[in-house]
Amino acid sequence: MVETTRRGFASIRFLRTYGTVVAGLLIVLVFAVLSPDSFASLDNAINISRQISFLVIIALGATLVMSVGEFDLSVGAVASFGGVLSAKMAVAGYPIPICMLAPLAASLIIGFVNGWIVTRFRVLSFITTLAMGTILGGLNFKLTGGATVFENIPDSFRYLGQTEWGGLPLLSFLMLFMTVLFWYVMAHTPFGRKLYAIGGNESASRIAGVHVARNKNAAFALCAMLAALTGVLMASRLGSAHPTAGDGMFLSAYAAAFLGMTSFKEGIPNIWGTFVGAAIIGILANGLTILEVPTYMQDVITGCIVISAVLSQKLGRERKR
Amino acid sequence: MALLEVVRLYKTFGPHYALSDVHFDIMPGEVHGLVGENGAGKSTFIKIVTGVYAPDSGKLVWQGNPVAIPGPDAARRLGINVVHQDRHLIPSFTGYENLFLGLDYPRKAAGMRVDWKAMRSRAKRMAEEFGVALDMSKPAAHMSPPEKTMLEILRAMMLDCKLLILDEPTASLTDREAERLFMLIRQLTEQGTAVLYVSHRMEEILRLSDRITVFQNGRSMATVGRPEASKDRLITLMSSAGAMKSQALVKAVQVGEPLLEAKGLSTTDGKVRDIDLTVRQGEIVGLFGLAGSGRTELLETLYGLRDKAGGEVRFRGRRVAAASPRDSLDQGVVLIPEERKRDALVMDMTIRENMTLPVLKRFSGWWKMRRKAELAEARRWMEDLKVKAAGPEQTVGELSGGNQQKVVFARALLSSPVLFLCDEPTQAVDVMTREEIHRLLRDQADQGCGVLFVSSDLQEVLDISDRLYVLHGSRIAAELDNRDVTPEQVLAICYSQGKESELRHG
Repeated sequence: MVETTRRGFASIRFLRTYGTVVAGLLIVLVFAVLSPDSFASLDNAINISRQISFLVIIALGATLVMSVGEFDLSVGAVASFGGVLSAKMAVAGYPIPICMLAPLAASLIIGFVNGWIVTRFRVLSFITTLAMGTILGGLNFKLTGGATVFENIPDSFRYLGQTEWGGLPLLSFLMLFMTVLFWYVMAHTPFGRKLYAIGGNESASRIAGVHVARNKNAAFALCAMLAALTGVLMASRLGSAHPTAGDGMFLSAYAAAFLGMTSFKEGIPNIWGTFVGAAIIGILANGLTILEVPTYMQDVITGCIVISAVLSQKLGRERKR
Repeated sequence: MALLEVVRLYKTFGPHYALSDVHFDIMPGEVHGLVGENGAGKSTFIKIVTGVYAPDSGKLVWQGNPVAIPGPDAARRLGINVVHQDRHLIPSFTGYENLFLGLDYPRKAAGMRVDWKAMRSRAKRMAEEFGVALDMSKPAAHMSPPEKTMLEILRAMMLDCKLLILDEPTASLTDREAERLFMLIRQLTEQGTAVLYVSHRMEEILRLSDRITVFQNGRSMATVGRPEASKDRLITLMSSAGAMKSQALVKAVQVGEPLLEAKGLSTTDGKVRDIDLTVRQGEIVGLFGLAGSGRTELLETLYGLRDKAGGEVRFRGRRVAAASPRDSLDQGVVLIPEERKRDALVMDMTIRENMTLPVLKRFSGWWKMRRKAELAEARRWMEDLKVKAAGPEQTVGELSGGNQQKVVFARALLSSPVLFLCDEPTQAVDVMTREEIHRLLRDQADQGCGVLFVSSDLQEVLDISDRLYVLHGSRIAAELDNRDVTPEQVLAICYSQGKESELRHG
């Protein structure tokens, strides 16, 4: 009797920690059964890994900012901005590496300004970054005149987005590299520890000598940089940049991060959780498209999955008490 | 017949009696003073009468009938209302909107639209009835402290209020503002409302009250009529029985060089005024003051959490310009904050992560944390301080209060401090841990550290300090060598300073 209860608790604990991963695997299984030829193929797996690379990278940034207890609602607009800026620079004839790097540098500054306004003047990050997103949205239209930038872009602009190594997209490698890098930063460096401490208890962190403002600014800056990188990669993939190309990414990025909070480290934003969250969203989009489910229904299903993941975690916790 | 009779009320929190055999009565239309040291049980009593806590035993007799007060609503229905020192008003709401808070707004015929006109005129009538000159259409945020207090009292009177409890109502008022409040109190009692007046200010208590009840250590010591009451009599009743003299270990303290010297220290918000203070190597300096006297604020200013407006701080003889917590830590100053949950620990993180947070540099290269060294260090401190936990990887939030406080101390010790700023370091910890913390601080002092020790438990301050400062109204009211100091002496300083300091900055 005692044994079974203990085992019962252990399994609840397992589900709380890995429930989202299990759910993700179940989704894969369902699609594989429903569509054995198209979904469950190596080509499609590679395809998915490329499709989710954008979402993973932008969601990593969202996770950083969430780990200090803030939000950055400008990530979508920053992504669009990154794409537009790199494409415009490519058209203007700047060397391609510069076209790729300049948006990252510019976005570091944008993110830092976000952080500075939040920490220096104690403005809610919600408001600050919403406004920053609006400003950039306008700027993106100004830069492009509202049209897609695609003429006179040199072929080498597409290198990052279209190169494959041994049949695998460079984008997928980049995504994995970024995930591992930021996992390492968050889990094994003093900087990551400080970010989590600030998110856990800002006042206690300040008293323990952590420079709260400085570290928060860094989180905002890195978040914006990752968003801009996403935009650059999307532009490179398509060989063109639209002024609103990244805008829609912002909701999915947070959906991924919230899904991620339900796995591995319960209730705490974490890198691998975000990766899993983004993967689930990407797999759903891919599988549902293959099954010819209309896009609007995909949104409905994705939303439902986020809500049920968060709910199921809450239920598990109540049983614990 | 008494309005409220309190019969043998008991209440425990854990092993401690918060209230023990409390009995007294309140007559209709009287002002009944209630005094007692910090932690004497006044707040607990108020919470029982207003239905926030249930008593363990004893009864409340309301107008001759025993009553149970299961919640704040029940108290309000009986006619018991409380006005707290921290005000419960919605800043952006106007006076009359606040007045109707929690009540049904008057409606127009259809039952949908709020009848603002009726609200306004009712508010106006209330104000006139009680002789309060107050612009009710002003948002609460734009009201002065006394106006807010009056507004809260009026709100209490909206329902038929028979007993009004005022908890430190003049804490933020100047003398002239307080006079307005006293007029209002007289108005209320003339109409038959009883007022239970809780205050640290003896002059007010003696002036306003018809009778005064004194709490000490959770007991009601006596109820005295105004004619027989005097400040000395009340203070004697308030201070702990057996007149325990300071038990500071009689030892020749080897006092060394001054570690911390503050001169004329003030903050912009006026919570710290003109403080002169010294802490030397090898001594434990007590800092006592009543609630709101600026104890916490002083420690926070010294630690670099508050902006200095004037004065200077020297640490080991060197002037400290604008300190930040980081600078303080680097110089060997640690703060044990009063609010453990809010200011000391990251509850979601492990014991190890909490301990090493201020000294991450020691356990990392420029990029990688050395987790093994970190773990070993955390283990060592857990053993040293006898932290009871599953291991260094246990989440701090799962520990008991005493063990959490040990983690806070371990973290402090990890940065090899020379000066401890302790704000209520033994609050909400068990007796054992309390002893251990006292011993630890004494050891540290013996090794040449300095300790500035704040506690609202006067006996504790007298037991542990070599020397003590008494704070009052954000200033230092006295400095005492802790030899044969009695609690009465210290309390007398706290209570007698009231008037003059008020005049000085009022």
